[in-house]
Amino acid sequence: MSDDPDKVWPTGLTLREAEEVHSYLIDGTRVFGVIALLAHILVAVSTPWLG
Amino acid sequence: MFNYRSFALRKLASIGPKYLPFADVATEEVPLSRLLRLSLFQVTVGMALVLLVGTLNRVMIVELAVPASIVAIMLALPLLFAPLRTLIGYKSDTHVSALGLRRAPYIWKGTLYQFGGFAIMPFALLVLSGYGEAVDAPRWIGIGSAALAFLLVGAGLHMVQTVGLALATDLVEDEDQPKVVGLMYVMLLFGMVGSALIFGTLLENYTPGRLIQVIQGCAVTTVSLNMFAMWKQEARDRTRAAQMLEARHEKFEVAMRNLIKRPTMKRLLLVIGLGTFGYGMADVLLEPYGGQALGLSVAQTTKLTALLAGGTLLGFGYASHVLGQGGSPTRLGRTGALIGIPGFAAVILSSLGGGVLMFLVGTFLTGLGAGLFGHATLTATMRAAPKGQIGMALGTWGAVQATCAGIAVALAGIVRDVMLSASGPAGIAAHAPYNMVFMIEIVMLALAVMVAVPLGLGIKDSRSQTAGARSVTGTDQKSVEVS
Repeated sequence: MSDDPDKVWPTGLTLREAEEVHSYLIDGTRVFGVIALLAHILVAVSTPWLG
Repeated sequence: MFNYRSFALRKLASIGPKYLPFADVATEEVPLSRLLRLSLFQVTVGMALVLLVGTLNRVMIVELAVPASIVAIMLALPLLFAPLRTLIGYKSDTHVSALGLRRAPYIWKGTLYQFGGFAIMPFALLVLSGYGEAVDAPRWIGIGSAALAFLLVGAGLHMVQTVGLALATDLVEDEDQPKVVGLMYVMLLFGMVGSALIFGTLLENYTPGRLIQVIQGCAVTTVSLNMFAMWKQEARDRTRAAQMLEARHEKFEVAMRNLIKRPTMKRLLLVIGLGTFGYGMADVLLEPYGGQALGLSVAQTTKLTALLAGGTLLGFGYASHVLGQGGSPTRLGRTGALIGIPGFAAVILSSLGGGVLMFLVGTFLTGLGAGLFGHATLTATMRAAPKGQIGMALGTWGAVQATCAGIAVALAGIVRDVMLSASGPAGIAAHAPYNMVFMIEIVMLALAVMVAVPLGLGIKDSRSQTAGARSVTGTDQKSVEVS
């Protein structure tokens, strides 16, 4: 493995870098989730399903 | 025993960097193909602009029967974000990232917002228009969600354009900047014209389902094109990341004040505002003017748009050529504004007995002038940008430019409507309200030229210094250029 304890194996990123990449993923998921929820509510308002 | 785990991890590590969206090294030379790819973000910006200002404007009023006042407010919402471009640029300049990225995170965020806005927009519009069961829904749901959709798209598009242009400026050397600006403008125009044609064809037989398909297709295209444009453009940089961590930046207000205080900046921004305002007002009026004042058919006025775009393209091309050979951007910008004056004069005269040919010449001239002016002033802004504040300088350019263009379009419509309604049933000639607007444009352009005169002289002096500096070294150029 790596001699640098700060590096996350196997990507070779440091811990901070890996956390930053991860934060983009998390933020993206949150935004997409909220958008999807909102879109579903709006569709349900105009053309209700399940009832 | 064969160690599967370490084998898999080693394989994974070896393919890693190739599939990461960041370049590993900042290459000295950026090939044209890479710049061409980067400029794709302008296509999505153009697409969003056309969808908002052109397509949805008509669809909301004609097919969805939304009250015109609500439509006007909705379409003005994205404009609210234009002044915030300066702040976006500043944020990306001072961004702290462990990966050493400054631009990519903001382009990604902007793309997300743009996508999100487009994703909910069709449903929001359908609810707003009371489609299906939505008739019984409370009014605020439709209005609120539509406003949110337009705000998201507007925020995303301003973010992507500001930071994208900053990234392009980061990537290329000073002498290549005119080429890049030309490319960016051409792609914006291409995106606008292309998507206008595509939206027009797709929405010819309007159904609610088709509206959803078109807008959401637009959302998917935006994300894919922006991802493709961004891929491996900005280098991952540990030394820069370390610098970012330690760097202390001046506050936004201070940075803003210093930027404005630069000798030519305020004047340059004023010129950009006046010129953009002057050219912007004509955008929406040339076609109806051709139809109402000169009696051209719809097919003929559509060709008119092609003529205007052709003139603009020629302007971009010529500006890239001249500025690439070291011409002064401010002087060229002044020429661009100057060309518009006889252009609009010809347009006015065409309805006063000059005939259609005069009109066509005028249209072509205004297109040419707008192309030269836009290209030259953006290049001037890029050149005047202090090294660490490129994003902020371009943000300020975008804020002035987008705000003025938006206000100009809105004002042109208002002036024309007021003139039309004031004329009463007996009426003034059909061309009078339009000519009024064109007169305002001539005045604005003349003002822009006048303000630009001392600017051109000042820049010329510093340019002669630059010519000396350029032969010595490429890296310190920016600091010399703005002296």
